[in-house]
Amino acid sequence: MKVEIDDLKQIRFFEKFSDGQLETIANISSIREFKVKDIIFEQYDELSEVYVLLSGSISLGISLPKDKRIHLGTISEGQLFSWSAVFQPYISTAWVMAVTPAKVIAIDAKKLNAEIERDCDFGFKTMSKIAQTISQRLSDTRFQLMNQLNL
Amino acid sequence: MASDTINIYKPLRATLEEVIEESPLIKTFVLIPDEEFVFKTGEFIELAVDGVGEAPFTPSSSPLVTDRLEVTVMKTGYVTRIMHELKPGAVMGIRGPYGRGYPISEFKGKEVLILGGGCGLAPIRSLLFTLEHMKDDLEKVILCYGSKTPADCIYKPLFSRLNSIDKFEAHRTVDVTDDDWDGPVGVATALLDQISVKIENSVAVVCGPPIMMKFGTIRLLEMGYRDDQIYLSMEKNMSCGLGKCGHCMMGEFFVCKDGPVFTYREIKHNPEIWK
Repeated sequence: MKVEIDDLKQIRFFEKFSDGQLETIANISSIREFKVKDIIFEQYDELSEVYVLLSGSISLGISLPKDKRIHLGTISEGQLFSWSAVFQPYISTAWVMAVTPAKVIAIDAKKLNAEIERDCDFGFKTMSKIAQTISQRLSDTRFQLMNQLNL
Repeated sequence: MASDTINIYKPLRATLEEVIEESPLIKTFVLIPDEEFVFKTGEFIELAVDGVGEAPFTPSSSPLVTDRLEVTVMKTGYVTRIMHELKPGAVMGIRGPYGRGYPISEFKGKEVLILGGGCGLAPIRSLLFTLEHMKDDLEKVILCYGSKTPADCIYKPLFSRLNSIDKFEAHRTVDVTDDDWDGPVGVATALLDQISVKIENSVAVVCGPPIMMKFGTIRLLEMGYRDDQIYLSMEKNMSCGLGKCGHCMMGEFFVCKDGPVFTYREIKHNPEIWK
């Protein structure tokens, strides 16, 4: 399914992007839908797409031996996940699963990286938003760790 | 010779009517005081067990109800352990109310965002009763609450009730999930990404364990809240409740007298704020 610029304008992640930049993203993206309990990708999968959650709820976590899965967090609508697709070695650091029926924007990571290199302004905005996402997740993880350690 | 001096340390007698088990470590004590007991939301009391000792708590019930008082107690030490063994009919003592509660009149016309964690939902519950009573004067009330596990969440029916009230919305998350939990997973601050709030016309209230208060305040500042829009309910070692003993000192403040509710602006320079 094709992504419309108006879809992207509703998403917090893209709030500072110009219409031209949103059009670029729309041209390298598609909309995907997942059913409850669909695994969007596994931990250590090689990734080729960056995702932004449009609707629904998805959970991310890590795998342990004996097929045990630990849920670490829930992704909210408008948030980016699968950022590892933009950075070498392009391997996912977590698994991601749909908790409710979910609709996501899937952005072609190779084409996104090419645009980041070609257009500095686009690249800066994209990298800033990805850095914010990772920083937020790191901060939440530290908070979670301190909670678990009763600090 | 009879003395007409008032003993400020003499507690008011209250009979324990009911004990509600909220979670493995937390119980709510429903008390019937011998006299009408009036408090403002956010103010605290000293709750005593005869011959054992007393400890400070912020009531979790509505301040509009004066003949019945609910206090939610987490088992953390000697006094609270004894409290957890009490049965209905036991007699307890109440001193107070003490301190400075929430400046409710300043919330009028605004969106109120409440961030809570763990047992911090106890004072928040009292605040929510007050806000519900004045909801016509408010724009919106949003509660974001996190507990370690689903079993650790207190006042579970409160969330569906709040979500059924006009202008109220309640969100809940857990750090560690179990097989029955299908809600959000993660820390309470992560819930802030799911809400919509007009920050310029909003106040934020934070109450919970120190680590949650710290991370919560940082996230609220990142969202654009000013330091005077953030209200923190500080839990310190409050003892006399009168600003005399010094146990609760935090810099130039006696938390028992000048707090327990402060704006972040008032206390942000204090190095002991998150300890």
